[in-house]
Amino acid sequence: MTNVVGAPNESESSTALVPILRVERFTKHFAEVKANTDVSLDVLPGEVHALVGENGAGKSTLLKMIYGVYTPDSGRMLIDDVEVSLGSPAEARNLGIGMVFQDLRLVPALSVTENMALSLDVGAILRPRALAKRIAAASEEYGLAVEPRALVQHLSIGERQRAEILKVLMTGARLVILDEPTSVLAPQEVQALFGVVDRLRSQGFGILIVTHKLNEVRAIADRVTVLRGGVPILEGVKPSDYTDEQLITAMVGHAVPALPVERSAVDADAEHALSLESVSSRGDKGHEALKSISLTVRRGELVGVAGVAGSGQRELCEVATGLRDVTSGTVKIAGLAAATPRKAIDAGAVSVPEDPVADSVVTRLTVLEHMPLDGRPFPRRRWGIDWARIKSKTAESNDRLGLRIAPIGRKLFELSGGNIQRVILTRELSADSTLVVAAYPSRGLDISNVRRTQQVLLDRRAGGAGVLMISEDLDELMAMADRIVVLHDGHLSGEVLPADYDRQHIGRLMLGGVA
Amino acid sequence: MTLTDAPPTAQPEWLSTGKKAAPAVVRWAVAILCALAAFSVIIVFKGASPLEVFGDMWVSTFVRPRSLVEILNTMAPIALAALAVVVPARAGMSNVGGEGQLIVGAIAAAGVALATDQFLPGETVMVLMLLAGIVGGAAWAAIAGMLRLVFQVNEAVSTLLLNFVALDLLLFLIYQPWREDPSGQPTSRELVDTAKLPEISGLGIGIGIVIAVVAAIAVFFVLKYTRWGFKLSVVGGNAEAARRAGLHVPVLILSALLVGGALAGIAGMIQFAGIEYKLRAGFGLQIGYIGFLASWLARHRPLPVLLASFVFAALAVAGDSLQLDAQLPAATVSILTAFILIAVLGFTQKKGAAL
Repeated sequence: MTNVVGAPNESESSTALVPILRVERFTKHFAEVKANTDVSLDVLPGEVHALVGENGAGKSTLLKMIYGVYTPDSGRMLIDDVEVSLGSPAEARNLGIGMVFQDLRLVPALSVTENMALSLDVGAILRPRALAKRIAAASEEYGLAVEPRALVQHLSIGERQRAEILKVLMTGARLVILDEPTSVLAPQEVQALFGVVDRLRSQGFGILIVTHKLNEVRAIADRVTVLRGGVPILEGVKPSDYTDEQLITAMVGHAVPALPVERSAVDADAEHALSLESVSSRGDKGHEALKSISLTVRRGELVGVAGVAGSGQRELCEVATGLRDVTSGTVKIAGLAAATPRKAIDAGAVSVPEDPVADSVVTRLTVLEHMPLDGRPFPRRRWGIDWARIKSKTAESNDRLGLRIAPIGRKLFELSGGNIQRVILTRELSADSTLVVAAYPSRGLDISNVRRTQQVLLDRRAGGAGVLMISEDLDELMAMADRIVVLHDGHLSGEVLPADYDRQHIGRLMLGGVA
Repeated sequence: MTLTDAPPTAQPEWLSTGKKAAPAVVRWAVAILCALAAFSVIIVFKGASPLEVFGDMWVSTFVRPRSLVEILNTMAPIALAALAVVVPARAGMSNVGGEGQLIVGAIAAAGVALATDQFLPGETVMVLMLLAGIVGGAAWAAIAGMLRLVFQVNEAVSTLLLNFVALDLLLFLIYQPWREDPSGQPTSRELVDTAKLPEISGLGIGIGIVIAVVAAIAVFFVLKYTRWGFKLSVVGGNAEAARRAGLHVPVLILSALLVGGALAGIAGMIQFAGIEYKLRAGFGLQIGYIGFLASWLARHRPLPVLLASFVFAALAVAGDSLQLDAQLPAATVSILTAFILIAVLGFTQKKGAAL
């Protein structure tokens, strides 16, 4: 039930804009965890407000309170200056609050129209044509190009996101909340999204956008609120009044050292850590996922792989570590054929998988029990495993790598994505290796751990490992890689050397354009 | 605004722990009470008095001195058949084939016994029967294992179907080559007395229960403390993670099924050499399936399996008395068994824990 507690204020100053959303001193504590303490925030019509902070800073809790999932312990919320108290997301939607989730909530097997029908009030009988017309009209009005008849599974992630935003707008939202919308997009798609956001802003919508990338704050936000440890550090300030360093310090609590720019040059005669010769391979659906890829990574070299998600990154990583059979071509690690995971491991390969939860995690086992699963022989103690030794090795790795893994007795199903990622990173990157294949190594991590992970990977490179790194963050690749190869639709569409690093150039290659 | 400390990075507690659940004993008690209540309704429909029936069951099951002996003897093969489910379950597999593996284990033991019991010492025959039971059960499970590894046939289906094949094999043997008396009941020749499994110092309790308890403890230690046991947990938890860790998943899957089959084979050997002494048409009927349920009731943990098999053995013994005393069909007790299983599994379901 929506309880309208207060009455609309008599407009005292007709000139000032009335915020669509105003949150005043929201506090939410879960037992000992102070998820939000005295957080205030407002979004004006025609304004983009960025909400930034590290993992665990309280962004999700705040969004969930605004969207009616959680009830705040104290504080109040006003919509158009009317105090409301929300009991459910449905009430939030009725009041004009729309949420675009990070994991998009469309049904892949249905068309855009059918998906819309699921959330719009269309009555008991579906009239697809009328609805498609409505969608087309709305699509034109808001400048969101969406084909109503297309099946969602045939849309790119960017198109799905547009469909989702359109859906939210068609349900009558005036405040659109975007939860880390850019984390799944290619750079060009990010630009397209920002174009959409810009247009919505000029049409008077309020936008609340969650991100952890500063360049995005600078590109799109009128104001920014920084949360750390559930407490607002900066409240609705103009980003232009602050330097990057000041904003990062606000988020992290201390200055984060930049990556060292100077690095030892790659030894052009160094042994090949990984060499792929005209490798082709099929994906899980049987399609040709890799098309005659030739690629080498020398020891002491970090090769970055850029590409729109789903261009063959997963298959490339799996082929390189013996996890996926090739249909033609050869894969060698340090000169040895790597046809099975066992052979790849024995040749000195370690890998950080693209989807650690699905591919590397046994949810019922503890952090400690995951540590010996690096492919090396278990430390033995009679018939069993020498857990004491694994424990001390883990403590040592944890100290050395500094990724602060969760307590070793915790089971993996209790851990968040970022914590799981740190467990896998610590296990895979603590020992010497010939080849490191790291897919999205900093995914799910906050700024300080991202930096720490990048440093660890550079240390592995300095220690003589060849590193093949997949990333969706071009800035990260350009800061770290000795060379960037670009994957497009299963083949390498280009190779870029540091002198030519340029977002637009790489972006064009990612979309298959010629350099 | 100043905040000097780093933000908390640990996962907040409220995400990891649910509500404090009632202690296990209370939940078990509530579950069994519910099952009895539902069963009472059925008894009333059958025109009997629930209190009388429960009273009879109690007396015949726990008061009569012979009953405990009977329960323990019934329990031994059930517990082993349950362990035959526990080990493959650790590797993420459903072994529904305990019944067939038990029968083939018994057939192998009987074959060895028929060939040797008249001239070898009894103890030697017992050891040979044990080995034959192990090999027979494991071989039967190996068929399902190979079907899974080579043709990706789900082992739940193949083990289940192989049960029927095993039963037909048994019938063939007792009707044709091993039939003792062509004019009488189709059975094999009875095991000679010296080769029958001994009882514990005149109590009437067979050696089978000792084997079952030792096996349960052994399975517990092997699963918990050996490298093999740990690898099975990894394969069972996430086979892809095991593959990526360089473990030989097919070997682990096959070995888990083989050990399961071997345990069921031992159950068959005990049923043959310790209880029935001859193969006949209803040999070891449903012990494999009851063991399967016992393993589920114990959530595939080896030591609780002993308790669960005790419960099922007691129900089986009580079922016999129901038939005799209360004039209820013997199948009635199967209904109670089912109620108890469903209620216990329902009430003791851990939140968020995958079965």
